[in-house]
Amino acid sequence: MTVTQSLLAALLTPLVSAAWICFFLRRKGVLASCVSVATAAAICVFSFMALQGSQGQTVAFAWDWLNLGNFNVRAGFLFDGNAATMLSMVVVVGFLIHLFSLGYMKGDKARARFFGGLSIFMFSMIGIVLADNLIMIYVFWELVGFSSYMLIGHYFETEEARAASKKAFIVNRIGDVGFLVGIVFAYWHFGTTDLAELEALVSVNKELISGSIAAFLMCGFIGKSAQFPLHIWLPDAMAGPTPVSALIHAATMVAAGIYFLIRIVFLFPVEVLDLLAYLGTAVALYAGLCAYGQNDIKKILAYSTLSQLGYMTAAFGLGQPGIAFFHLITHAFFKALLFLGAGSVIHGCHHEQDIFRMGGLLKRMPVTSITFFIGLLALCGIYGLSGFYSKDAILIAGEMNDQWVFILLTLGAFLTAGYMGRLFWVAFLGAPKSESALQAQESPFIMLLPLLLLAGLSIAGGFTDFWPEHLGGLIKENLDSLHHAQGYGHAHHVVLIAGSAAWVVGLVGSFFFYGAGAGEDRLERKFGPVYNFLKSKLWFDEIYDSYVAKVQQRLAGLLSFLDIFLIKGLFVCGSAAMIGLVGICARSLHVGSIHGYVYWFLAGLILFWVAAIGLF
Amino acid sequence: MQVPETLPLFLLTAILVPLLAGLVLLFGSNFAPFVRRIIGFFGFGWPFLMAMMFYCIYEPPVFGDYRFELKRPTGLESIGIYLHLGLNGISLPLFMLAGVVGFAAGLYAMYSKAERPHLYLALLLFMQGGLMGTFASVDVFFFYFFHEFALIPTFIMIGIWGGTARRKAAIEMTIYLTFGALLSLLGLIALYAQTGAGSFSFPELRDYIAAKPLEEIAQKNIFALLLFGFGILVSLFPFHSWAPKGYAVAPTGAAMLHAGVLKKFGLYGLLQIAAPLLPAGLSHWFPWMVWLALGNILIIGLITIAQRDIKMMLGYSSVMHMGYAFLGIATFSAVGVGGALLMMVAHGLSISLLFMLSTCIYHRSHTFDMHRMGGLATKAPVLCAFFVAGIMASIGLPGFGNFWGEFTIFAALAEMETTRWIVIPAALGIIISAIYGLRAVASIFFGRPGDAFAGHFKTTDIRDLRNYERFPAAILVVALVTMGLFPRILSDHADRELAKMYPSESILPAIDTTAYNKVTAKPEKEDAHK
Repeated sequence: MTVTQSLLAALLTPLVSAAWICFFLRRKGVLASCVSVATAAAICVFSFMALQGSQGQTVAFAWDWLNLGNFNVRAGFLFDGNAATMLSMVVVVGFLIHLFSLGYMKGDKARARFFGGLSIFMFSMIGIVLADNLIMIYVFWELVGFSSYMLIGHYFETEEARAASKKAFIVNRIGDVGFLVGIVFAYWHFGTTDLAELEALVSVNKELISGSIAAFLMCGFIGKSAQFPLHIWLPDAMAGPTPVSALIHAATMVAAGIYFLIRIVFLFPVEVLDLLAYLGTAVALYAGLCAYGQNDIKKILAYSTLSQLGYMTAAFGLGQPGIAFFHLITHAFFKALLFLGAGSVIHGCHHEQDIFRMGGLLKRMPVTSITFFIGLLALCGIYGLSGFYSKDAILIAGEMNDQWVFILLTLGAFLTAGYMGRLFWVAFLGAPKSESALQAQESPFIMLLPLLLLAGLSIAGGFTDFWPEHLGGLIKENLDSLHHAQGYGHAHHVVLIAGSAAWVVGLVGSFFFYGAGAGEDRLERKFGPVYNFLKSKLWFDEIYDSYVAKVQQRLAGLLSFLDIFLIKGLFVCGSAAMIGLVGICARSLHVGSIHGYVYWFLAGLILFWVAAIGLF
Repeated sequence: MQVPETLPLFLLTAILVPLLAGLVLLFGSNFAPFVRRIIGFFGFGWPFLMAMMFYCIYEPPVFGDYRFELKRPTGLESIGIYLHLGLNGISLPLFMLAGVVGFAAGLYAMYSKAERPHLYLALLLFMQGGLMGTFASVDVFFFYFFHEFALIPTFIMIGIWGGTARRKAAIEMTIYLTFGALLSLLGLIALYAQTGAGSFSFPELRDYIAAKPLEEIAQKNIFALLLFGFGILVSLFPFHSWAPKGYAVAPTGAAMLHAGVLKKFGLYGLLQIAAPLLPAGLSHWFPWMVWLALGNILIIGLITIAQRDIKMMLGYSSVMHMGYAFLGIATFSAVGVGGALLMMVAHGLSISLLFMLSTCIYHRSHTFDMHRMGGLATKAPVLCAFFVAGIMASIGLPGFGNFWGEFTIFAALAEMETTRWIVIPAALGIIISAIYGLRAVASIFFGRPGDAFAGHFKTTDIRDLRNYERFPAAILVVALVTMGLFPRILSDHADRELAKMYPSESILPAIDTTAYNKVTAKPEKEDAHK
């Protein structure tokens, strides 16, 4: 197979699988799950065939999708180093999560729908990774939004999933409007939306870079990567099944926003980059604080995801797209691991998600606990694990470019260690707090295998030197340039000390503050107002809800009333009534009684007489 | 390739077969259901088959503008009226739309439990014949004639089989649409008289005008007649009030055919006749078109959010989406008009699908109030899947045809510096449609059973989609997805045709945003003077 054929196969196999499941395997859950997992495996094979075939060369391929007048849309692949790196991550993590789902979703009534949804998701995600132009990215961008909607709404009977799925889609749509506007503006501004052509154009003429177009395109990223102010959908999205949270709402889809930025990095002027750096830093801190107000294991991880996405955004904003990309990849490994670990815990504890009702899981679920702990250490950036290398690089970039970003991000790292420590000490140590935790059992091997493999990746994923050849070109390049930049030595020392201090203080501090296996939140008991403030998440949900209820819904109601009252009532019925009135008047002339006619005759006569003598 | 002599006759059969089948059924009150269905199936299946066949053998015409031309004298040659049928790249997609939607509506109607089913089917078949004729006509007279021919059964069907308050809705719709049709007829006659071409044929009128353009004042006035006349037929804001209520009470078959196909007559008239023949008129009325279309998108969009009745919601959403088509035509470029054409076809498919499914939902819930429903997906997952597909198509998710329509229209608006700002308010519409679409899905299908279902869920067995509902829905979804994946199957033919009719350079004026701010507030008056 040629590279193009392998890529096409990797893209289309999941679509075929989804269609097959949707039409024929709706009632055959077991078969559907096997088909979906086999598909995920096949995608891995095809992707690595493509990788082997391309030998690090960029492979581009396109065909016409739509031609109307001077508007041409093409669909095609741009399989370069970044796409290859991202694709490898997506297919590997995707496959492992498919495998985990086999165990996790066992016994679910709608397994076929779930696995069909996963296949659609893989299709759309690979589409984003490979797409060679903005319009095609938008197409798959919306499609991942749809698959996310479908999978968040998996337990649609619950009120939570019903609201969350709707919210996720609509909030993403808000971002996508900006994205769409950006694309159509870019099309006429540059005359193309092809990524390679855009890069060529911009490299020749820097004047072409437009801040407003970059800002519009950035809106799409803000929606999908759940950055401020569109971050509200991600924590709610945890209403979906846990493997979905791991795959879509942690490892791949939300990170696609960052990947998209990296694809179009050449379109960004400095002002927008600065904006992104501060935005990312703010989100990293904000989400880190919010995590302290949560008791639900998945919500804590969701805020952690938000916060890490903030780190990536900040790195991108600091002009280090490769380092953002590096963190994206390592984060995908350890965050998928953490989510799957949480899934294993939830599975073991009979769908108990409150960490203060767990406790003592280390004894009952040793493999899950240890792998979870590895993921935790990677997330906190412990020396030697994957998260260390990427987070370290981000902090160094911060230290060298912008002191404030560096300080705030280091604070964020401390917060990260703190809330993760809180989660682990409370849920895994001590004694069980509830019946479900007491009866917790280690998950079956099919679920542990992905955990172990991901733990391996979380440990070793940061050694870029050992990555397969042809992968991570931009990452290595950026790391190299960072290592050889002036002032690197100093920055490195500062970061090493500050970063290590952050996680040590965070982990140890949370251990002593919360206590192993605590049954209640000490912060809540001792510092109620602080806890409530953190729990409120700065009232964003409330503000948006009240906007919807008080402004939008009322405006809609008012317009609806005006539509019925003014347009329909006054104009349409009014004009009809006028005509009717004329009819009634005319009819009243023909009353059929001789008296009536006599009076009218008289009136006419008088009128005639008045006219005749010229009174008017 | 030489077109065989007999092919144009097949075009005629696409119109005549449903009419004949309708006539037979009219006197078929004693027919067994089986016989009735056979006749109906043939009456709806034949045009569908013809539409597909004509698509497959269609090639861009070498000479002239139309393929499969058929020209027959009618006895009115003295004023230039011929029974002139034919297809080109623009009418072909709509001809196919009529075939597909008609087939789906017909299949569904054959199993409907309406009283006097023979009459119901007969009227629907008459509509179908008229629809096929409308989009196959090259002659303006017959184009108009067939439209009216299809319109009248709509009124009758609403009057007989409509829902609550059907009589009022039927009368309102009749008067309003007849008024619109009258305005556009005036416009068409004025166009005929002003050109002095002595012909009602599209291409001849066009050639005539190309040789001798109309005076600007004439163009402006005639365009106004056509814009508002057709606008009423397409529910241009604020002349939309007939639509939601009319569709809400209309029997399913009529709503599908009217909202899905017949309504496109007005847009087709605008893009085939009004815009290319009267460019100065369009450029004069351009700001109006933009503001009113934005009214469709934003104001009607918000009103749609406020609806609780599922059919009213769909009716308003259909009004809203017409705004995009108007914007597309207003850009006066091959991109925009092509986008409007794609939008028309895709919207026709998706709205008829949704109207059909809303009736399916009603049969299970016995209410149209969405707040009283909920949790239907547990009992009817297939219905839910189709409905979600319909909603996703209608809100412009890529993968369905509607996306290409909307996206191309946005692209066309952004092409010129002066109209670029319109993209931003227009694009807000895609958030609005996502809001009402997903709310509808969430409140009908997700969550706990609402009170409309609470009793039924336990006592009676709410069944999933039956085959007679599933099959027409599948036809429409397949058509939508095919269009979404391969838009070129329609756009390539259209593009070739549009390139001839629309200039590549734009002629539009800039819109002074301050001066027209009041337009949307009081456009009704302006119309009354025309």
